[in-house]
Amino acid sequence: MRVAYYSPLPPSRSGIADYSALLLPALRERVDVVVAEPGRRAPHADVALYHVGNDPDAHGWILDALQRRPGVVVLHEYVLHHLIAGVTIGRGDGRGYLDALERELGVPGRLLGLGVLDNLLPLLWETQPERFPLAGTVLDRAHGLIVHSRYVAERAREAGYDGRLWRIPHPAWPMHRVEPDAAVTGDPLVGCFGFLNMNKRIPQLLQAFAALRRDRSRARLLLVGAAGERFDVARRLERLGLTDGVDVVDYVPEERLWPLMAACDVLVNLRYPTMGETSGSVIRGLSLGKAMVVSDVGWFAELPDDVALKVPVDEHEVATLAAALGLAADRAGELGAAARAYVAREHSLPHVADGYAAALEVAAGGDAVADAVLLRVAEAAADVGVDDVGPLARALVDAGIVA
Amino acid sequence: MRVVVAAPQVPFVRGGAEVMAEDLVAALRSRGHEAELVTMPFKWYPGTRVLDQAFLWRLVDLTESDGRPIDRVIATKFPAYCVRHPHKVVWVLHQFRQAYDYDRTELGQFSESPEDRAARRAVERLDEVALGEARRVFATSRNVADRLERFNGIHADVLPHPPQALPYRTADPEGFILSVNRLDRAKRVDLLIEAAKLDPSLRVVVVSDGPDRERLERLASELDGQVEFTGRVDADRLADLYARCAALYYAPLDEDFGMAPFEAFLSAKPVVTTRDAGGPLEVVRDRETGLVVAPEPAELARACAYLLAHADEARAWGAAGRAVAERVTWDACVDALLG
Repeated sequence: MRVAYYSPLPPSRSGIADYSALLLPALRERVDVVVAEPGRRAPHADVALYHVGNDPDAHGWILDALQRRPGVVVLHEYVLHHLIAGVTIGRGDGRGYLDALERELGVPGRLLGLGVLDNLLPLLWETQPERFPLAGTVLDRAHGLIVHSRYVAERAREAGYDGRLWRIPHPAWPMHRVEPDAAVTGDPLVGCFGFLNMNKRIPQLLQAFAALRRDRSRARLLLVGAAGERFDVARRLERLGLTDGVDVVDYVPEERLWPLMAACDVLVNLRYPTMGETSGSVIRGLSLGKAMVVSDVGWFAELPDDVALKVPVDEHEVATLAAALGLAADRAGELGAAARAYVAREHSLPHVADGYAAALEVAAGGDAVADAVLLRVAEAAADVGVDDVGPLARALVDAGIVA
Repeated sequence: MRVVVAAPQVPFVRGGAEVMAEDLVAALRSRGHEAELVTMPFKWYPGTRVLDQAFLWRLVDLTESDGRPIDRVIATKFPAYCVRHPHKVVWVLHQFRQAYDYDRTELGQFSESPEDRAARRAVERLDEVALGEARRVFATSRNVADRLERFNGIHADVLPHPPQALPYRTADPEGFILSVNRLDRAKRVDLLIEAAKLDPSLRVVVVSDGPDRERLERLASELDGQVEFTGRVDADRLADLYARCAALYYAPLDEDFGMAPFEAFLSAKPVVTTRDAGGPLEVVRDRETGLVVAPEPAELARACAYLLAHADEARAWGAAGRAVAERVTWDACVDALLG
């Protein structure tokens, strides 16, 4: 059985590219995979697998391929407004954008879209994408859906997706010994890895860290990642009097990232609003056995309570976060051990690749199996005068025989 | 208690599983329970046929019979354990191994076509549903339990069962190696015949029948009467062969359990097996209750020759085996299954 695999791949700087680089070798041990490339003919295969994320530059061509041939979609995040805007407005197809909004919200959606096109409203994908996820375009073409979280599974079902759905955890990187970077220290050293922007709650993190530092003067914060547009980290640090307590490092390649992460006592990964995404950075940190502090939203909220401290996004967020950072530092050993065990149990690469192979095999041949079995059962029933085979079909589904 | 033992049957085929199901019914009755064997034919090919054959068991209502409730169902094998019952206990002798460890080997049945791959997954899901709804799952060997854990994530307690009731006795060895096993490829009787080719003094008696018999007889025809095929034999003859043999050869590929080693042990005979035989390795221990060698004809020939030449050691290992086999009783099995 052959799978056509659509995904951004390194050197593309995206989490999904890293994800595929990790998954592909393990998947190839289980099924025959041919990797599709942008601008090339679609490979011949029994089933196509589309990794869909929100970045139109990385995923626009994948959405185009999905439009041409339905297949199994890996929905890495639920909110796809930016992707849809990119492949419609970004290509001069305003009508396509209006259609997508109308599909999701009816005529009011179309009117909203007109407001955006006429510059009467701010760009929805920048200001409030979570309110208008625009995943329907993708769900319509998916004849199987792979998600990483219950959160996205529930959103997809609420949006009317009623096809096959598999929840497969994000794979963890196979662990090897990582030497912590000795150049970064703190007591505790708190690390935050990923884009630095409002969505990652960096302002709240800085405030909470300032509070932590009042009690623990030797604490340091390590911010690693590219800063978002219009997000001036230096000015914010200055305002909070944190200039000598925080180290800011721009985007680092994989080989530098691991030692920096390993040097930290506590990792923090906040999010609001959530786009339904998982975080490769969180998985890396848990694999290293680090105490983790996250926002209590979406996929992050699904982490076991003994593995991550979860901070609700509410009016007490900063105070709770400051307390959580201290608590995580004090319980780093206990949280880290639970994190390691959890990742080994739920996120192991073979386990994830097995899940993919099972999903793809069912997606490719499940209908033929269902047709063959249902036909024989229905024929046998009809032979003895039973015309309503609905109960039999339901029993086949309940037994797992028909997926 | 009214107990149904549910087991599939392959018409005209009889092996250890059939014997075990009948013996279980007898053991239940001897303990004062009302027990009945319920079977249905099983044909697992071609292609997706295995699924609708398994589905038959889902349609069977064993909650009561003739207006009286059935208290417990003990199911032994795929697809019988797909039957539904509020008090279902599964004692797994075999899953449908073509969907698991036999897959993508010469013993498998699913090709690389999308339909076959999906059919294999359907068996996997069906097992997870059928075994998942059981009150308790037992496995006849550690090997079977490990496979359930590895492939399906299902925990099973290990509960071996005694072999068939034969008039077991022992006698002085008469210089032949016995094979008691259904003649199909997975049982690897051909390895023993190949070993006989390497050692012209080795005499072999092959008991039972099966689809591989013709090939095996062709293979043995190159030898000068060293291999005797008896076909099926009755209980007395079988007990007699066990009593007079020098040792039992038993080396299927990654076997689930295998009753023949227990039968040999109850006749105080050692067993020759191979390192990849699976379940038998739980009772056949090298130089304690038999010999365990690589699955190579030359190694087997050497092992058989050793046992023939060292009667005292063979006798001691057979006696040690008997002590192992005597610890497995139907009383203990019934207690566990109904407990």
